[in-house]
Parts: sequence; structure tokens; C-alpha cells
Amino acid sequence: MRKFLLICFVVLIALTTLAKEKIIVNSYMSDPAPRKAFAELVKIFEQKYPDYEVVINTFAHEDFKTLLRTWLAAPKGTADVVTWFAGERMRYFAEMGLITPLEEIFQTTKWEDYFPASFKSTCSYNDKIYFIPQSWYWWGVYYRKSVFDKFGIREPRTWDEFLNVCETLKRNGVVPIAIGTKFPWTAAGWFDILNLRINGLEYHINLTAGKVPYNDPKLLKVFEYWRQLIDKGYLLPNHAAYEWQEGATFLFRGQAGMYYMGQFIKDVAPSEVKDDLDFFRFPIIDPSVPLYEETPIDGFMIPANAPNKKGAIVFLKFIASKEAQEKFAKDLGRLAANVEVTPPDDHAKKGLEMIVASSGVAQFYDRDTNPEMAEVGMNAFIEFMQNPGKVSSILDRLEQERKRIYSK
Amino acid sequence: MKRNKLTPYLFLAAPLCMYSIWVIYPIFQTFIVSFTKWDGMTKMKFVGLENFQRLITDNYFGLSLLNNIKWMVGFVLLSIPLGLIFAMLMDQKFPGHKIFKSLVYLPMALSFVVIGQIWSWVLEPTGGIVNTFFRSIGLEQLAKPWLSDPKIVTYSLIAAALWRQIPYVMILFLAGLKNVSRELVEAAIVDGAKATQRFWYVILPALRPAMVIAITVNIIDSLRAFDIVFVMTRGGPFYSSSVMANYMYVQAFHNYRMGYGASIAVVQFGITLGFIIMYLLNVLKKEERE
Repeated sequence: MRKFLLICFVVLIALTTLAKEKIIVNSYMSDPAPRKAFAELVKIFEQKYPDYEVVINTFAHEDFKTLLRTWLAAPKGTADVVTWFAGERMRYFAEMGLITPLEEIFQTTKWEDYFPASFKSTCSYNDKIYFIPQSWYWWGVYYRKSVFDKFGIREPRTWDEFLNVCETLKRNGVVPIAIGTKFPWTAAGWFDILNLRINGLEYHINLTAGKVPYNDPKLLKVFEYWRQLIDKGYLLPNHAAYEWQEGATFLFRGQAGMYYMGQFIKDVAPSEVKDDLDFFRFPIIDPSVPLYEETPIDGFMIPANAPNKKGAIVFLKFIASKEAQEKFAKDLGRLAANVEVTPPDDHAKKGLEMIVASSGVAQFYDRDTNPEMAEVGMNAFIEFMQNPGKVSSILDRLEQERKRIYSK
Repeated sequence: MKRNKLTPYLFLAAPLCMYSIWVIYPIFQTFIVSFTKWDGMTKMKFVGLENFQRLITDNYFGLSLLNNIKWMVGFVLLSIPLGLIFAMLMDQKFPGHKIFKSLVYLPMALSFVVIGQIWSWVLEPTGGIVNTFFRSIGLEQLAKPWLSDPKIVTYSLIAAALWRQIPYVMILFLAGLKNVSRELVEAAIVDGAKATQRFWYVILPALRPAMVIAITVNIIDSLRAFDIVFVMTRGGPFYSSSVMANYMYVQAFHNYRMGYGASIAVVQFGITLGFIIMYLLNVLKKEERE
């Protein structure tokens, strides 16, 4: 008996000294492709840092959004690293002190050694970095090259040209603009880009920060332009019945001509259409307004209650590295946040060039805006799309909501 | 003797304990949260009746409540008579009645999520079976955007829910019909009562207990409607098909307004409780009579 206990003791000692340090990563990458890419990435990390063992807990995207709060608010943390979105959605937690500043990662290096300087503000709160970007993508007007060729259409550059393209498509029995608003964020894309083209980035940032009234006459102009498309019947009929992917099938089948959407539209395109898909920069409305685009950034944060912060820092340092970023971007055709990584294909190269030539970028309406405001705002956009005549009463109501939400 | 009195309570102890943890305690907690402003993370702030005052002026909550009433009316006025008709038909022993019964009963075997998904396809505006049918027989004007027109979307959802609710009511009545005494019906036949008279004066009064259960269950089901709405429209477009449970979910788990969400839950709880008490009183009265 004593011998047995002794053996147990020795084994226990040996195990504790040999045991690898655990890093627990909670991830929303539940789709097959990103999930696989991330698992492979973690394998590479474990080979490079044999002292660590990484456990990935994957959750469905929508579940993750609600669960994250529980993890962050729990007195005893369980996750060391979590996936999330840059911008207001990250700041929401930073403001409450629920996530850790990541200064430690940049002790010997600078932010600019890894990432574009323009990303810094959207990953920071009160001048401290809280977020490590991994990949990002752009929004553009997607179309099928073969459909444009068939009707002799060239990529429009101005709003008038854009309306002409819509008219040509409509005359030929093709729905000019596809959209699916069952989940209302697709409409927020339109709101964002129209506001960026008409009122510019600074105004847009102030608006999404809750500093501009929603019934501001300048904002009304956005809806006047939007209304031109609605009144002329250029949008996909009954769009509120479709999810964004269902809206995209009209584009893929050639029944609709254009779709203002993020790069991830390629993820859902059938292989025979994928190479036929191309995009152009959203047309210019006011030539005096510089070009701004939407570029949501995805990445990681460390909860303030993480049990293994040291390990989490090591892991995020690896995530920031060229090697890790290159692998992930290549697997998914996205753009890596790391400046040293070149775009993985021609399509990504074109996207990158568009963004580099821009004067500034926004994240996205529901990433830049307080979550509650975003919910009422996006539903109001859908209401406007169905009842464009009610625009002023809709905006007055939004203004009331803004006052209530930001007065907290 | 004393021991015998104790036994039922011992058996009840375990379920009661679980019931307290999973049902009673959360109900009280919801009541407490409904008087606070809380985002689920930082400290709760007591705000008294502010959430309830806000509910009164919240158009979308009013709309959700109105939609719940539409659900209730639809459930009671449609599923009860239709369920009863089906039950009367199924009670006859015509050839193939078993297959017919299984077919009507089939939707009961599906979960609301599956039903919601199926009906989303059935009501799809371009290629859905309903609109395709209307177009094929030349009734283009009847091919409607069932799930995206704010004026009709709630009725479309109720129709989908009825698909499952009617067979459920049918089962309740079928069970009730088993309790209608044969002798009574035969006596009525001997007395020369016609089929309609037999139905109105013999069978229907005997179905009273089943009727009370069916109405109560339908009202409660209509008040807790959530799954179909969540799957088919998420309350959209712009809250037009929202119901209380759905609006509560959006406020609490999407907008991080736990206190406001809880106050919606409290209102819903109060309304439901009213109907449950009415039902229980009815059952108790009946038990006393027996």
C-alpha cells in the first residue's frame, strides 16, 4: 500500500512538472472553413511553443454574442482568449473594465511593426490597445462580369452612372440591386456607405458615437438618395423575406445585377460563379467628399478575468506574427491585418488597393454603434425601405431613442 | 398512520425542490430584475417602476401585445372549431381512417423550429408553393409577400402555428369523445334525435371538460408564442410580427436591457397567470362536485 502511494506521489509530481500550461480560446469561428483554418493555426502554435496546450471551444456565431457577456462578467474567468470585433463592440467591454489592455505585447515592438497605423484607433480605448486584429475585409458592389458584358455595362463611377446601370438592368428584366433584409444589417451597409459618400467619415463617426441627432437635415439627405432607388423600384422585391444569402442567390443566378456586400459573399458563391464575381467601389455622390469605405476587422481580446493571462499574451503575440496571419488569410481569401502579409489572391489584391486608395475607413454600423442603438437603428432602416414616405417620423423616433440610450 | 400522511410529501420533495430551483426562484428573480436597470454585467441599479412606465409608451411593446391578442383570437376561434370537426370526423370508422388520422396528426410530431422552417419555404415569395400555386391558376393578385408585408405577416405566422395546433386540439377532443357515454348517444337515437341534435344536445355538453382544457391550452400557447416567430421572421420586418416573448428576447439578450426585458416577462407572466388561475378554479370546482 505504501509503495502504491509512493508511486502515485511520484507520478503526480512528474505530471505537474511536465504538464503543459493550458490556454483556453473561446471562438465564434463555427463555419467549417474558418474553423479548420483556426485549428491548423493552433497546431502550428503548439509546435512552436511546446510548453503550451491550447483548448479551442467553438460556439455558434449568434450564441457566442450572448455568451461572451456571461464569460466576461463571471467572477471567476474560464477563457484566456476570445474572438471578437474591433470598434465600438470591443470598447463596450473595455469601458467596463472587462477586458485586459495588451500593452505587454508591444513592449519591445511598436503597433506599426505589425499592423497599419490606421487600425490602431479602432483597436484601442482611451489610448490603450485592447484588441489584436487577425483578418479584415472590404465592402463593395458585387456583380457578375458575364451579366455586365451581356448588357454592355461598364462599372459605374458616379451616382448618375450608377442609376443608368440600374435602369439598363431593369429594362432588360434584371432586378438592379439584390438585398436580403430578414436580418437587418444588410440595410445598415447601405446606410453607412451613403452617409460616408454624402457626409463623410467624421460626420459618420460622430453619428455612430451618438453625437449627432438622427433628425439632422444632413442625414435626411442620405435617405433622399436611398429613396431614389426605392421609388424607381431598383431593389429586390420582398427583400424582407430573405436572408442575405438568399438575396445573393438572385445575383448568382443572374436574376439580379448588383449587391452591396462584404468580401465574404464569395464564401457562399457556387464554384462556377465565384470567378465570374467582381466588385467595384461604391459610386461617388459628392465629388468634394473624399472616398471612405467599410472595412470590418475581426480579431481577439483577453478577458480581464482570464486565468492564464501570461499564456494568452504569448498566444496573441503569435497571432499577430506574419506567419500566423499569412496562414489564416491564405486559407480564407481575406486580408491579413499584419502589414508584411501580401494579399492571398488577385481579388484580395484589388480589395486592398481600393482600401489603400481610400482616405479613411469605418467598421460597420452595428460595430461602430452602441448595440441597443444599432438594433433600433437597423430596424428603422428596414421600415424606411418599406415606407419611404414616413422617413421624417421614423427619424424623429430614432432621435428619441438616441437621446434615451446615450443619456445613460 | 402518521407515516402514511408523510409519504406523499416525501415523494414530492425531490420534484418540489427542483421546481423551486428552476421555476419558482427564477420567477422571483425576474420580478426583482424588472425593477432595475441592468446590462447583465455591471451592478444592478434600482429604478422602481420606470421600466413599466416605459412599457406603456413603447409602441413596439404595444404592437407585440396586440399581436399576442391576434394569436389568441386566431388560436381560439380557428383551432377549436377545426380541431373539433377533425375529431368528429376521425371518430367515425370509415375506411382508411387510421391513415387519415396519422396524416392530420403528423405536424404534432415536428418541433416548432422545423415547422417554422418548412413554412418559410412554403410562403417564400418567388418560388414558394403557395405563390406558385396562385400564379399557376391565374390568380396573380393572391400571390403575396406573406412574410415581408407588415400587414399580413402575423397572420401568416398564425397560419403556420395552426398547422400544428389544430391536430393538438383534435387529440384533446378525441380523448374527450372516448368519455362520451355510448348509452346516452344510443338513447338519443332511440328517442329520434337527428345527428345535429345529437351533436348539440348530447355530445357537445359531454365534451365540456375537454373544451375547457382546449381553450385554456390554446390561450396559454398563444401567449407563449416564440419559436415560430423567431425562426420565420425574428419579429420582422421592423417588429411588425413581434410578440411579447420575442420582444423580451430582443431587449434582454440583444440590447443588453435585462431590467426592461424582465418587465416584459412580468407583464406576460401576469396575463398568463390570470388565465391559469381561471383554469385551475374550473378544475377545482369540478373536483369538488365529484
